Amino acid sequence: MIEVLEELVKGAVTEVFGTMLSIKTEPDASLKLMGNGNPHVASSVGFIGQITGVVFIYSQETFAKMITARMLGMDPSEIDCEELVNDSMGELGNMVVGHIKSRLCDRGMPCVLTIPSIVRGSHFSIEPTASMTRVAICFRCGDSDQLAIEVLIKKEKELQP
Amino acid sequence: MGRKILTVDDSKTIRLIVAKAFKTFDCEVLEGSNGVEGLAVATREKPDIIVLDFTMPIMDGLEMLSKLKADPELKSIPVIMLTAEAGREQVLKIAKLGVRDYLIKPFKEEMIIERVSRVIDLKPRGEAVAKVKQFDDIIRVLVVDDKPAIVDQIRTGLGDTKWKVDGVSAPGQAADFCSQTVPDVVLASLSLANNGGYALFQMLRSASGTKSVPIFGLTVKTDTDQQTRAQQSGFTGVITKPIDFDDLKTRICRTLNLDTSLRYFMNKDGALVMTLPGDFSQSVANEVTMHLRNKITLAVDAGIDKMVIDLSQLTKADITLIKLGLSTIQMCHELELKYSMIGSQAVCLECKNYEETKDWRLVTSYQDALSQLGVKLAAAA
Repeated sequence: MIEVLEELVKGAVTEVFGTMLSIKTEPDASLKLMGNGNPHVASSVGFIGQITGVVFIYSQETFAKMITARMLGMDPSEIDCEELVNDSMGELGNMVVGHIKSRLCDRGMPCVLTIPSIVRGSHFSIEPTASMTRVAICFRCGDSDQLAIEVLIKKEKELQP
Repeated sequence: MGRKILTVDDSKTIRLIVAKAFKTFDCEVLEGSNGVEGLAVATREKPDIIVLDFTMPIMDGLEMLSKLKADPELKSIPVIMLTAEAGREQVLKIAKLGVRDYLIKPFKEEMIIERVSRVIDLKPRGEAVAKVKQFDDIIRVLVVDDKPAIVDQIRTGLGDTKWKVDGVSAPGQAADFCSQTVPDVVLASLSLANNGGYALFQMLRSASGTKSVPIFGLTVKTDTDQQTRAQQSGFTGVITKPIDFDDLKTRICRTLNLDTSLRYFMNKDGALVMTLPGDFSQSVANEVTMHLRNKITLAVDAGIDKMVIDLSQLTKADITLIKLGLSTIQMCHELELKYSMIGSQAVCLECKNYEETKDWRLVTSYQDALSQLGVKLAAAA
């Protein structure tokens, strides 16, 4: 189950970042999930159905701004409002989770997505409850940036590979 | 008139991406952030196509689509559905909705342009502008040739126009140039290394901003194989070296649909003045003939009742000139326009020798022509 989810997350991140941003992403187990005190942006999208859970995409605020600029064909210095960064990160989350959801549906686990939401801060953590399974993967993006994905799921039945 | 594309998506990012994708096309991108707004804009603006997100708050894409299909005035507007969910079930569901096409997020700009282009005819914004350009406007000519002498030759040959000639020596440089500034026309050498001219042609044709830019191949007159290959590859035309610059100008004007009438016609001193150039040829005669009736009609409509036919730059009177002169005089008679003709000494002498032109009352200066028409010299000055 965990392995399947990990593969789905890796596939989704590679596809979305490659297509929308032309950024190469590489999973890197040596990276930490969060927390050096720098401002972060976390985009979250939930899925509800045969399988229920939520996906968080964490990035440093500077990288989120760069992602937004890249999506819109602008220079990061031109991105001067948090709302646009929030919207872009939300949409990016929607695409990543949409990709994962589609594969889950094809495996007989239909579910629907929630609308994206954004959390901003320098020191925060997401704590799963006991009934949830947690999958966390960090990615190296391009030369110097990183991204973390955390999936919390409450399974109704076992995932088929 | 440009096309109208309506993007309905709750994400401002996606709406901006769609707007950016069609920025280089002659179209207007309208926006709605949910189904309710989308329907309102569709009712008001009657767009040519709708790019519709599936999952949205307030009214989702599914509900908006069903309302569109139920409205007799809106039901024929083609819809392309945009969704982040690519599962088999979702795709089947979308297919049953009666949408024209669908696109799965993530998507590249080119993908949405390609899908929309399948449904509506998109024209690059530059093309629409070019149609109203005139010969005297600045036309950007990009020459791609590894021989700097050719670039210089073309720059000199087009030196009597306001056109701007830029030269690069390799296809890569040409692609970089075009990504910054879309030229009005490209002249690409067909003898560049590794079939570079043909590779550049493909590259420019596949890029949205340059896909309609006319591309002429440049090759030596004797290389008929290259000329045939270029024609078969889809080049706009082939310009042979040594270059005949009058022919080049004429072909560029024709291809860009430039209004060339200002080269020959102007309203001056209360008269319509038609001036034929020293390099008068059959192609010039064709061009002048093409504008003649319209220019005379417009002049009469504007209250002008005199015409000066200026042949003073010509060094001989041949049959082409005589035919043009006769048809111009005929039109002046038809529209009751007084006319006067100026000729160089050579033209004046030769015209006396032909039956058709022996009665032409040619004068040798513009002032004399105005006097003949009853325009006071003081007014002319």
